[in-house]
Amino acid sequence: MKLAPNRRKTVWIAAAIVAANGFFPALWILFTSFKTEAELLRHPITIVPHDPTLTNYVRVFVDQPILLFLWNSLVVAGLSTALCVFVSALAAYAIVRLRIPGRNLVLSILLAVSMFPLISLMVPLFQTMRTLGWLNTYPALVFPYAVLSMPVCTLVMASFFQDIPNDLENAAMIDGCTRIGALWHVVVPLAAPGVFTAAILAFVNAWDEFLLALTLSSRVTSRTLPVGITLYQGEFAFPWPIISAALIVAIVPVCVLIAIFQERVVSGLTAGGVKG
Amino acid sequence: MSDVVLKNVVKAYGTTPVIHGVDLHIASGEFCVFVGPSGCGKSTLLRMVAGLEGITDGEISIGGVRVNDLPPRERDIAMVFQDYALYPHKTVFENMAFGLRLRKRPDAEIRRSVGDAAQILQIDHLLDRKPGQLSGGQRQRVAMGRAIVRNPRAFLFDEPLSNLDAQLRSEMRVEINKLHKRLRNTVIYVTHDQVEAMTLADKIVVLSAGRIMQVGTPDEIYNRPAAKFVAGFTGSPPMNFMPCTVGEGGGTIILDGDIRLPVPAARRAVCAAHAGRRLEFGIRPEHVFAEAAGNDVAEVPAQVQLVEPLGSDTLGLLRIGPGEITGRFAPEAALATGSAIRAGIAMNKFHLFAPETGDAIRGPGW
Repeated sequence: MKLAPNRRKTVWIAAAIVAANGFFPALWILFTSFKTEAELLRHPITIVPHDPTLTNYVRVFVDQPILLFLWNSLVVAGLSTALCVFVSALAAYAIVRLRIPGRNLVLSILLAVSMFPLISLMVPLFQTMRTLGWLNTYPALVFPYAVLSMPVCTLVMASFFQDIPNDLENAAMIDGCTRIGALWHVVVPLAAPGVFTAAILAFVNAWDEFLLALTLSSRVTSRTLPVGITLYQGEFAFPWPIISAALIVAIVPVCVLIAIFQERVVSGLTAGGVKG
Repeated sequence: MSDVVLKNVVKAYGTTPVIHGVDLHIASGEFCVFVGPSGCGKSTLLRMVAGLEGITDGEISIGGVRVNDLPPRERDIAMVFQDYALYPHKTVFENMAFGLRLRKRPDAEIRRSVGDAAQILQIDHLLDRKPGQLSGGQRQRVAMGRAIVRNPRAFLFDEPLSNLDAQLRSEMRVEINKLHKRLRNTVIYVTHDQVEAMTLADKIVVLSAGRIMQVGTPDEIYNRPAAKFVAGFTGSPPMNFMPCTVGEGGGTIILDGDIRLPVPAARRAVCAAHAGRRLEFGIRPEHVFAEAAGNDVAEVPAQVQLVEPLGSDTLGLLRIGPGEITGRFAPEAALATGSAIRAGIAMNKFHLFAPETGDAIRGPGW
């Protein structure tokens, strides 16, 4: 797309603001994680650490069982993402392909549900988990996280499935697939960008979640990263550099995940399948 | 045995019927073409045979097995789609092998079947490519290859050539014809292109508005159309129609403008039964001549309205009385726009249709 010079300038400025807004806090945390407490409190404020130190990172691993938190987060986010993507793919496919009466109503309800405030679910969720005896276990977080991400994942995947030509599934069904087989063999691979987008959304939602994790997993052994990181603050002290280092440790897996799957999140995979 | 039988097959969407009780028998090994204008239900009928559309009433059987309630995968059919429907994420080899893999055939057999089919279709050098790297014609060959590797009981083709350019289309038409002669499987082929229908079919089924208008060989459909719709749909340019009155004793056909055409003796008895009746007179363009010569050729005064030279022959639009008809003439015919000629009409080739129903009126041997 060719833009007029003035418009291009405006777009650049807007993009720069968005990028700065996203990157500045992350960069600030990164720089802080290499500073000593003394440098952090020094005036005038330094941006880049003058005497970079790795002590904070050592403290992150020594002071709290962060590897356990990391593992808990990975298990909870991984399982909830897998469950969410599996169920959402089926739901999205049904919405897009089957002749369901009130299809638009279903979509509207999904959209409405995705705007539900989490806090309103907290008490019923807590009581349900206590009744099931799931408090402080992985399922206590896996199922709610999966369900909470389902509306948005379903909507994302439905919009991608919509673009897959119907005849590809018909061809697969004639070749020997069941309808569900056609979904897994043809639709999901072709809608890979949508599936990975949904998976990343679900994973990040689960990875970042704090309120439910704090309420439903109060034991140290079952804590996830967002809750675990709060343990670094003392009664009277707030060790910003150590917490910053812990945050960086928490961000890295997500960055790695997105970097791995970024290549898959490309469109144009369906090129050549049907006459277009 | 792989004959396909449709018994009183009905399809309705809600309360709107789109296929009205179709009865059809396609013999094993026969090449059957469904032809008709857009929206006539030919693709719907094909998809019902494939199992991609449910049927509202009636019965479909393939190879003697009732398939009404069988999913597509259990009908032992293969289908070639209009838009190819190749799996874009799989190579040509994997596209063709997919059906066999789902049936858990051994690897060696898959390689052999795909290799054989690829050789027949001359796509063996493309097996490692993805569909996106192929031309339209190559993709169509791959789609056909995917169908033939499974050696199904019946092949279904849904307008497979309509996305190709004219030259490629005629090449692929020949290929499909050769393929059928070689494999001898039952084929159901949907097209709106009458040239494909005429050249490929053993049997043509002409459909209109969800009903079968006529089933017959290409010769029957072209030369003995059962209805005005069939006569008007086949042939390019199509048959000419003019209102007429049958004269006393069936000896003449009187076109509007009091143009009297003598009826040959062999056809008089049938015409006599309709004496005095208003009918539709039909004549194919190749049975209109630039000059009246020969037996059973009626001479009519005509004015040349338009001349369209096509190279191999010339089309001329002639005004005859208040009506116009198109004639197909030899390229050397001396026709000049605006000139008056004595045109000839082959009266041993005319057709008559009842105006109310469109049904053909003909005697034996017409």
